[in-house]
Amino acid sequence: MANLFPKWSNAVPLKVIVAVLVLGGSVVAGVTYYFTPKYSRVGYAPKQPVAYNHYLHAEQLGIDCRYCHSHVDESGHANVPDAATCMNCHSQVKKDSPLLEPIRTSYETGEPVEWVRIHKVPDYVYFNHAVHVNRGISCVECHGEINKMETVYHAEPLSMAFCLDCHRNPEEFIRPLDEVYNLNWTPENEAAHEEWAREAVIDWNVNPPQSCSGCHR
Amino acid sequence: MNPEMNHSESNSADKAGPHYWRSLDELADKPAFKDWLHREFPEGASEMDGVNRRNFLKIMAASFAVAGMGAAGCRRPEQNILPYSKQPEGTIPGIPVYFTTSFPDGKDNLPLVVETHQHRPTHIEGNRDFLPYGGAVNRYASASVLNLYDPDRMTSSYEGNRRVSSERIKDVLAGLTAKFSPTKGQGLAILAEPSSSPTRLRLKKLLQKTYPRLVWAEYSPADADNPERAASNLFGRPLRPLYKLEKAKRVLSVDADFLNGEPGSVGMARAFNKGRKVKDQAEAKKMNRLYVVESAFSVTGTMGDHRLRLSTGNMTAFLSLLVADLLELGGGDPRLGSFLKQRAGSLPVDANWIRECARDLLEHGGYGVVVPGSHLPVEAQQLAIYANQLIAANGKTVEYAELPKDESSSLGELATAIREGKIESLLVLGGNPVYDAPADLDWKALQKSVPEVIRHGYYFDETSIEANINIAATHYLESWSDGRTLDGTYVPIQPMILPLFDSFQDLEILARLAGLGVADAYGMVLETFTGEYASTGNADKAFKRLLATGFLPESSFRTFKAGDIRVSEIQENLSRGTLGSRTTTATNLEVRLVPDNSVGTGFYNNNGWLQECPDPITKLTWDNAIMISPALATHLGFDTKAGDFLIGGVSKKSSNFKRGREESRIAELVVDGVTVRGPVHIQPGLDDWTVVLPLGYGRLQVGRVGKGTGFNAYPLSRSGEGLIRNGGQLTLTGEGYRLANTQEHWSMEGRAILREGNVKTYMEDAKFVAHMGMESHSPPVYGHDKGMSAQEKALSTPRGGSSYETPDFGAPPPNVDVWKDPEARAKFIPEQQWGMSIDLNSCTGCNACVVACQSENNIPIVGKDQIMRGREMHWIRLDRYYSSGDLEANRHSLPSDPQASIMPVGCLHCEMAPCEQVCPVNATVHDNQGLNVMAYNRCVGTRYCANNCPYKVRRFNFFDYNKRSTDEFYAGPIGTNQYKTEGAALKSMQKNPDVTVRMRGVMEKCTYCVQRIEQAKIAQRVVAKGDNNINVPDGIIRTACQSACPSEAIVFGDVSDAKSAVSLMKENDRNYSLLGYLNTRPRTTYLARLRNPNPLMPDYDKALSRKEYKSVQATSKDAYHGDESHDGDGGH
Repeated sequence: MANLFPKWSNAVPLKVIVAVLVLGGSVVAGVTYYFTPKYSRVGYAPKQPVAYNHYLHAEQLGIDCRYCHSHVDESGHANVPDAATCMNCHSQVKKDSPLLEPIRTSYETGEPVEWVRIHKVPDYVYFNHAVHVNRGISCVECHGEINKMETVYHAEPLSMAFCLDCHRNPEEFIRPLDEVYNLNWTPENEAAHEEWAREAVIDWNVNPPQSCSGCHR
Repeated sequence: MNPEMNHSESNSADKAGPHYWRSLDELADKPAFKDWLHREFPEGASEMDGVNRRNFLKIMAASFAVAGMGAAGCRRPEQNILPYSKQPEGTIPGIPVYFTTSFPDGKDNLPLVVETHQHRPTHIEGNRDFLPYGGAVNRYASASVLNLYDPDRMTSSYEGNRRVSSERIKDVLAGLTAKFSPTKGQGLAILAEPSSSPTRLRLKKLLQKTYPRLVWAEYSPADADNPERAASNLFGRPLRPLYKLEKAKRVLSVDADFLNGEPGSVGMARAFNKGRKVKDQAEAKKMNRLYVVESAFSVTGTMGDHRLRLSTGNMTAFLSLLVADLLELGGGDPRLGSFLKQRAGSLPVDANWIRECARDLLEHGGYGVVVPGSHLPVEAQQLAIYANQLIAANGKTVEYAELPKDESSSLGELATAIREGKIESLLVLGGNPVYDAPADLDWKALQKSVPEVIRHGYYFDETSIEANINIAATHYLESWSDGRTLDGTYVPIQPMILPLFDSFQDLEILARLAGLGVADAYGMVLETFTGEYASTGNADKAFKRLLATGFLPESSFRTFKAGDIRVSEIQENLSRGTLGSRTTTATNLEVRLVPDNSVGTGFYNNNGWLQECPDPITKLTWDNAIMISPALATHLGFDTKAGDFLIGGVSKKSSNFKRGREESRIAELVVDGVTVRGPVHIQPGLDDWTVVLPLGYGRLQVGRVGKGTGFNAYPLSRSGEGLIRNGGQLTLTGEGYRLANTQEHWSMEGRAILREGNVKTYMEDAKFVAHMGMESHSPPVYGHDKGMSAQEKALSTPRGGSSYETPDFGAPPPNVDVWKDPEARAKFIPEQQWGMSIDLNSCTGCNACVVACQSENNIPIVGKDQIMRGREMHWIRLDRYYSSGDLEANRHSLPSDPQASIMPVGCLHCEMAPCEQVCPVNATVHDNQGLNVMAYNRCVGTRYCANNCPYKVRRFNFFDYNKRSTDEFYAGPIGTNQYKTEGAALKSMQKNPDVTVRMRGVMEKCTYCVQRIEQAKIAQRVVAKGDNNINVPDGIIRTACQSACPSEAIVFGDVSDAKSAVSLMKENDRNYSLLGYLNTRPRTTYLARLRNPNPLMPDYDKALSRKEYKSVQATSKDAYHGDESHDGDGGH
């Protein structure tokens, strides 16, 4: 009886297995890479109703973060400034600029400026700004070097893995409390800072939650 | 703080949500897409080559990307942040602001503190600074926030069927003023609800002065004025008896549900339970004693050390006999004694019961008190006042507060005036007389006969239909007003939010009617305050201080020094009334109409939280029922023998009671030719021939929630007879009806679930709780580690004899490098370990915790149908057990005179939680503060955890209870999405933004209010900054149930701190764990209940649950030869 299957068919099972592995692997790799916030969120820079320039305000003019994002050290939310805050200066500086029209309109009519949200954690995550900035975690750790951004973009993935990286190694991110809002700060002496950070974690008893209840309620 | 400042009126709220493209139209707005559309055909298939085809794809890609369909937009729609235009001072987004106010009531405004998020009230708690109430609330106050956001409330004023503007209403009121000013109010009548507001009283007096011929009537279906009437008769001036139960050693309640239903019950429950806090044996001797005589089974009845069943009609006779005994024992006037005895006749009561009770009251000279129910007739009240004088209670446990002069006509007088055609215009302020006025008045017809009826109401109800003009009322959280607590302390009502709808408040209407130029409620309240309380000094400043504290200290009514009532005086007063006993039989029933424990007299009928809140005793939801005694049930032909044992009127054997479904039978109750039909619920503990009908149901014109619930019992009410009728006849119709009941089983079957003992038991054996239940003879839970302190046990969770890995809560997380160093580890401060202690000796079962929890934790209502499938969502439930002392008899029939005990059960946060071991996806795990946490977004809904939970405290979202309305659960995606309806925006405003709103397919349960724990921890860390002072001080974190509890039965805190309040509670001898022998090591433990019966009383030996327990133990001891010498150490 003649061979039912040609000789090349001997390799078929192996080829199928390899193909499935490669295909499966690339799907997993693809999803891991493309479907996670690291890819899908980082770099998100929507157009805002007013092209507010953080580089100009925070870096060149040296306005402190808390001037606009008031109460960030008291509340879970970092306040997005009201139109009145902008008008504190812009009632005198560039008071006729067409770019500031939405601010002036908001100030006059009472209607809010519709800023587009960039940084967002899912609804079931209860992130709290106050506890982070009061315990030596700077804005820059999650928001990136916002003082260098002309247009704000999503700099870090803000995924659960991103949070846990820090919660598991707080000593790598903690900094002196008076440097929290100094986004340009770098330790003068790397080794000395490492030693300081280790001590700070112990002395302040920094024990960031790793269990569900820390963030999910 | 003054909330009147800038409220944000964000009318672009719809922009706040996710921004999806809604349709292709919107997509078509994009230029590239338009270009493509404008060509008639996309240049055909024939052209689909080379450049053209590429162009086409490019354009498509561009238009979709622009429209938000790119890879990023697909998963996360664009959202907007809408800041204030001008942020109000003191408003910090994310931080709730708390305002003081008070819950309006005819006699007792409850001082409140309301949590607001961006000026949106979400949760109501009591004002803890007002010490007599200590921050407690009742279920009505807690649930009232839901009424504010009720989509069924009246959203505008109406003239006939036409919506009218507020300007038109102002014109109508001005028209009334113009019409009645010349006639001095001839033909004008106002029917109002009783109110404690001094400002309203001031306006009322002003109106009565402006219109001397005005008829001002006040009416409330649950009239509680008799105690005041009696005191005023006897002492000749308006007085209100106040009971100082915190001082009382012996309390006799005569048909008074003072822990739950009477005016001022929040304060009385708190005061009464001060005398029931027992730390050790020495304090047990000093515990107070409660005698209860009652016809229904009330919450106060469950707390009674001695409980006597007696029909309400016999209460006057009972009090007469009591006073006669007091006179005899105390050497008083024998003539009065024999007069009373003769008039009272005989009662079906053991004479020794009354005599020994009287002796006990007398022996505690000055520290006994008789509390009569406010529904009892004036003669009974007078007898009670006299009894209190005889036991020297006046000035000690009873005080008389002088009330301000306040005169109103009664509803009957107004009805007469209408019948005589004297009334041209009737203004109905609140209330709902067409529904709840005594049936013999036929108020509906009366109201129709008035030419012009103007109604001011919160809902469009039965009365509104019969009115010409309907004025929408504001909620009290939208209004300025004031009021007084029961003892007269002045409390403000201040708005949290601008009125959501175009509505008026009562003060404004009265002011306009009085022709005041300025009808602004704030100004009027300020004026009252300035005039009456702050006539000297800076009134504005004082008013601000009043709003900050929420009450005015030392503003209570003056105490009247009650002189002794002379014998002749009381005899003369009493001889005018009827004192005699009344005979009731199975065919001559006494019928009691009582305000329902859930919906009150009917106003709260459309409140889902209250509708679904199980009645404390019957555990019924969404319905009322005719409650009958087991004796009457037997008489009616319920087969107690054949059906094994009965539950709520149905046979257990024939599986008529399944999950939450109680198969009831419909009966007809006839009194004086008036028939009321309703389902029957057999209620053990009722007086044999008294039937009890809760009011407030069977509304004809009500919102979507209350529609079709229960039956209306008001047709039986008669003016002049209160809510007690005689001569009722009950017959079964043969029809059936399904009731939704959350507790099918009522007997503990002799198991030591709820542990209780008498004071005597406790004195003989301080650790009697440890010698009950399985722990008394099972191997000890902590094995060789049982000697550890409770704090060490909490932190290290010793293995004991167990072979399982146990968590070490005190250790730092193993994956953090810094803490690996032993030197660092030595400095590590362990997380605080949360635990709770519930004192069963204080828990009255009033349901305040259930509603507070629902409000705090965004717990949905599920509707009657789901309750009947056993799917209620309450995170805390109150189990009610009856014990009759005879388990064998229980298997055949319901006991007629059982003891009832109540036990709150929520998630107990077991250290060795059985639920965690079976979750396949780690959705329920332990955190290092000892909390058993639920990660909702991990849960896949296998429900294994609920199966494995021995306490049955886990709740599953079988449906999307928030997204679908209760009648559309089974429609699935075809049903209306409630999030997209107009009412949804309103309803969602109540939600606590700090708690996830759970969706379908997710398990949930008590979290110990983890949001409050985490917020407190964060607040402490914000303060600590670069310091290790991170432990939250004891008492800062209060769970919602704890805050609401009037009797301070719940204590929460850090069990790893030996000095915390909760640790001290748990050191009590009476501490035990529920089902402790399972080695679950729950963090919530209980303090056993104590009863303090009087050895001289004929029913001293009751202690029924102990009897049942002992009968089981006697049989199981033979079977089990465990080591009896162990100390049960299940609790820690």
